[in-house]
Amino acid sequence: MITLDMVSKRYRTGSGDVAALEEVSMQVTEGEFVVVRGPSGSGKTTLLLITGGMLRVSSGSVLVNGEDVYRLPEGQRARFRADSIGFVFQMFHLIPYLNVLENVLLPAGAGNRDRDRTVALELLERFRLSERANHKPYELSAGESQRTAIARAMFSRPRLILADEPTGNLDPENAEEVIKYLAEYHREGGTVIVVTHGRVVDQYADRIMSLQNGRIVKEELR
Amino acid sequence: MSIPQLIIREIFHRKLNFVLGALAMITAVALFVSFFTTSEASNRETIRLTRDMGFNLRIIPRETDMEAFWATGFSDYYMPEDYVLRFAGHEDFSYAHLTATLHKKITWRGRVVILTGIAPEIEPSGRPKSPMSQIIEPGTVTVGFEPANALSLKQGDRVDILGRSLMVARTLPETGSDEDIRIYTRLEDAQEILQLQGRINEIKALNCLCLISDEDDPLDILRRQLNQVLPEAKVIMNRTIAVARERQRLMFERYFALIMPLVLVVCGVWIGTLAMMNVKDRKQEIGVLRALGYGSGKIAGLFLGKAVLLGLAGAVIGFYAGTLITLKYGPGIFKVTAGSIEPIYSLLLWSLLIAPAFAALSTFIPAMMAITQDPARTLREE
Repeated sequence: MITLDMVSKRYRTGSGDVAALEEVSMQVTEGEFVVVRGPSGSGKTTLLLITGGMLRVSSGSVLVNGEDVYRLPEGQRARFRADSIGFVFQMFHLIPYLNVLENVLLPAGAGNRDRDRTVALELLERFRLSERANHKPYELSAGESQRTAIARAMFSRPRLILADEPTGNLDPENAEEVIKYLAEYHREGGTVIVVTHGRVVDQYADRIMSLQNGRIVKEELR
Repeated sequence: MSIPQLIIREIFHRKLNFVLGALAMITAVALFVSFFTTSEASNRETIRLTRDMGFNLRIIPRETDMEAFWATGFSDYYMPEDYVLRFAGHEDFSYAHLTATLHKKITWRGRVVILTGIAPEIEPSGRPKSPMSQIIEPGTVTVGFEPANALSLKQGDRVDILGRSLMVARTLPETGSDEDIRIYTRLEDAQEILQLQGRINEIKALNCLCLISDEDDPLDILRRQLNQVLPEAKVIMNRTIAVARERQRLMFERYFALIMPLVLVVCGVWIGTLAMMNVKDRKQEIGVLRALGYGSGKIAGLFLGKAVLLGLAGAVIGFYAGTLITLKYGPGIFKVTAGSIEPIYSLLLWSLLIAPAFAALSTFIPAMMAITQDPARTLREE
């Protein structure tokens, strides 16, 4: 499903170029649950954003379903993200002026509004957020915020969910719950890539890759 | 979520940002509307004042001795009557109520009077206007207060003036001017009485006082123009309060020409800065929206759409604020035309067109920054 071939990414800084990823190659098959683990600054988030078509590579290629993501025009790449990928971030990144229901509806296009609303309400039900539908993000707990972010990521029924430290801001109980939701999505056939420096997610992973200084140093099948 | 929904929600969330931007827009629109409405009122007042002062241009034969002219009130020399048509036919002149006249002092029934022949007014613009001078029908006479009073003349009497029989159409009340010793007839009647057929000694007109700049002396301009068309004549002008008023208007326009661009630049920078702050505040939001598949057009639409709403709000509120200010303070400044100071609703239409475009233009650079900012960078910075 996803092929990263010799992907490198360098950032230009005032004191010269900094390599975030160095010739990383990896393949993720459809329905796989992959954990990319590594310490801060190892290039995990960069790898995730590159995979999601958000960050152009310095060299190498990223193929999703055989198509080079970065050869797509900007509009098509945006469409590809909207249709195929759900992002979950450590900081939740909910839109502060929208309530929970509206945040979940954010990926909805100009299609069938009634159907979109039904899907969103089902997701809220599934993630135990129905009571919070009209609440603003500042009224939510961290766990509720992350559940909202996951519901938003799943709204378009994407084939791939990319989660960046999804449990980073959660207590162990909420972290466990969030990981269970991702695992559930995986059991239903979805592909999940989680980047993290923790181990809470390991038990659900099909494969764990260790990233250090921008290179994959270890790969472990489970 | 549609872009308009997101814009409205964001406006209500960051009210202060929108209110401050709208204030800038309201100020610019209100100032513009207030100036324009005031300027129109000022223009009307100048025209009204000019008109109320009576004819302010007097075109007389070139050889006229001015000392004698001022002593008697008219020229002792004559010029052809068709000069008025030559004057009226010249496109460069913007004068109204052209009237050919003939004046001569005569002794009538033992009294010294000024016989004044008046031709119907000619409008160079071709547009009919209500006449400023009295309309005198052929074969009739309007008699000033002194002779009418002394000779007990009344409407309908027949009088003989130097062998010409005329009917008294009106007698005039006392005015306290030389009008009290005048006898007015139709120009051709006066020419016949005085045996000066086809001759006149004055063309009266009303200058519109449309100064081009306050350095222009309208009399100099007129003299230059007249010299080309009627080299045999010269012009004198009664400088009135209207000239001062017109100069005041020009000064007002000049200051406004300096102030308005300054206000626009300040408002533009103000709106642009607020939009820039808005983009900065929403960096992560933009990153998330990008991640959710929002393209550049939608992202730009969030900011430009907000700017358009800001412009529309500024246009409506600014129009009414500017108009209210003018309606409140205008009548105190323009006393003559106070009653005619009224809202100019076409300005609302113009404001609704220009203000949103101006706000969108001011927001263009921040919107482009929102589009081109690297969403991954902000998402990575968490």
